[in-house]
Amino acid sequence: MIHPRRLSPVALAVFTAALAACSGAPPSPAPAGGASPAAGTPAGGKKKIKIALIAKSSTNPVFLAARTGAEAAAKELGPKNGVEIEVAWLTPPQEDGQIQAQRIAQAVNEGADAVVLSCSDAGKVTGAIDDAVGRGLAVMTFDSDAPQSKRFTFYGVDDLKTGQTTMAELATQMGGKGKVAVLQGNQNAPNLQKRVQGVREEAAKHPGIEIVGVFPNIETPQDAAAEVIRVNNAYPEIQGWAMVGGWPLFTRTLLDEIDPKRMKIVAVDALPVELPYVEKGLAPVLLAQPVYLWGYVSVSTIVDKLVLNKTIPERLPMELVRVSKENLGDWARQLKTWGFTDVPDKYLQMGASAK
Amino acid sequence: MKSFIQRALTSPAAGLLMVILLLGTILTLFAGTHVDRRTGVEVNNFLNSNTLVQTATDASFFAIMAVGATFVIISGGIDLSVGSVYALAGVTMALALRALGPSSDATTVLIGLAICVAVGLVCGVLNGLMVVTLPVHPFVITLGTMWIVRGLAFVISRAESIVVPASLTAMAKASLGLTETLYPVPMLMMIAAAIVGMLYLERTVMGRHIFAFGGNPEASRFAGLRLGRIQMGVFVVSGLTAGLAAFLGASFYGSASCGDAAGYELYVIASAVVGGASLTGGKGSAISAMLGALLIVLIRQSIRTLRLDQNYEWIVIGCAIIIAVVLDQGSARVAARRLTAAPTGGTR
Repeated sequence: MIHPRRLSPVALAVFTAALAACSGAPPSPAPAGGASPAAGTPAGGKKKIKIALIAKSSTNPVFLAARTGAEAAAKELGPKNGVEIEVAWLTPPQEDGQIQAQRIAQAVNEGADAVVLSCSDAGKVTGAIDDAVGRGLAVMTFDSDAPQSKRFTFYGVDDLKTGQTTMAELATQMGGKGKVAVLQGNQNAPNLQKRVQGVREEAAKHPGIEIVGVFPNIETPQDAAAEVIRVNNAYPEIQGWAMVGGWPLFTRTLLDEIDPKRMKIVAVDALPVELPYVEKGLAPVLLAQPVYLWGYVSVSTIVDKLVLNKTIPERLPMELVRVSKENLGDWARQLKTWGFTDVPDKYLQMGASAK
Repeated sequence: MKSFIQRALTSPAAGLLMVILLLGTILTLFAGTHVDRRTGVEVNNFLNSNTLVQTATDASFFAIMAVGATFVIISGGIDLSVGSVYALAGVTMALALRALGPSSDATTVLIGLAICVAVGLVCGVLNGLMVVTLPVHPFVITLGTMWIVRGLAFVISRAESIVVPASLTAMAKASLGLTETLYPVPMLMMIAAAIVGMLYLERTVMGRHIFAFGGNPEASRFAGLRLGRIQMGVFVVSGLTAGLAAFLGASFYGSASCGDAAGYELYVIASAVVGGASLTGGKGSAISAMLGALLIVLIRQSIRTLRLDQNYEWIVIGCAIIIAVVLDQGSARVAARRLTAAPTGGTR
């Protein structure tokens, strides 16, 4: 039988632990503009905008760069336009469309003026986006779109074209022939599905190229690298990898595992940790998304819409940056100026590019 | 009457409710305010009807599963497959409704509900059968079925996120006469599931058999209880609640995919444990499991509402669970000592 007195102290302990842990936690980095808890209320007559930034996962470094960009934009554009801009980071720790939908609802209920979102699962968040728009918020997407929703714009690369470019670069590196594998990432993410479609379409244009398989992976560096190693062992004939995201290159594991003379990789993304792959020639080309701009451009777009009342096109295209040995130094310095602290010095000191 | 009030106030559910109310009070005091866009009135960031219903909605999907999981935990077992059953039920329903094509709203809702419940039932029966017939701990059986069922969801959905008919979303997001931005259906379903679970566990002979079996299987065997039937029953209930949660979740969010509810089994078990269920069996409460789920969601929400670093979310929840269980076991030991000491004192 349940002893009635047992649970009350337990419940109190849960409460105490929760509060102690919460109060012991360091505060979040101060939101740009130094917003007070009373979000949405005018501060000294100055207009205030609260933007909820909801990326796919807070453990993915590309989204941390987006956050840095968003906070920098808030700091820069706020004073310039006479507004106080707060960026609230509501990204779930792991990819989960349902949690994203919940975070959108929370942002609405706590008085946010805008939501900036990269969708883990477009189907799951469309309803929440439409609810938010219905309640007067400006919602835009970046990186991964929800095209059926009422969001006012999308900022990101053309995913189909990105996949095509990835495969075209790989085909060039492989001399137009050989067996390749495709690394997909989260198979539910619509942007990655589009990129894989682009890879397939481009591969069809190269008669000497054969795709042995498309492999989904958990989007953490270790899981992704392990998947690549597993596939390489199972398919020793693979000579190239088309990676629609750079996850396995966020570790150094494959640098030692794969001989660059035997295999070539072309991947989307070019973060500091991936630069040695370019230097070694294992990934002779990386297609960088300027991930910092996801945040920066999104916040400036919200300011354009809400403060400057500008008309925003339905799609804001982002261009990929081709990173190779020729412009490695330039790209490293660009990453540094975007707030990346882990750019190796040797790349920063590389000479100006020949572009 | 006095005894009833005293029992109610010292019950596990009352303790949890008090904690939830205290946490809610703190959130209300420190959450700040904003001007409601529609009414122009300044409202509290936490204490407003939208946030309260949204918090309950967020909890409802795994709270419903936690009610079923509590049955299994009381019996001394564990069900790790609930998240996967949720995903399989959701994608099966979405695929079937897409294949069937348009039909009336009521028919669509009924067919969707029937499919989800049927998938949950089948998974529960399979889990139960294996637990009863194979000499393997339920942890291992359901660990296996967790992967099998998730894999089935992956294969049949081809990793597609399948949109469900609008009539399902309209049902799950019905305002039921409240403000049009309030969606109380999942919350009401959660409360209903918890009440039904409580009544079954505490007011029926079958429910008491589950406590008896979980508390002392050997004694239950000697008492003539049909142990296989009890074990089968608890896994069926767990499957059914996962199916019901999937129906609500897919309907509310408008789509189903094989990745749904990944990792939710841990939140479900945590809810039951925070609600006082003992993993060694014989102890637990459906209402407390629901309150445990609410408390976990509230802790998650408080981290954001109070603008604390949300990277600490998992640490906070993990600490809360460990402390809850350790103190629960401590208080159980103290109670056992008191029970042992009582007859000695009484005979003197």
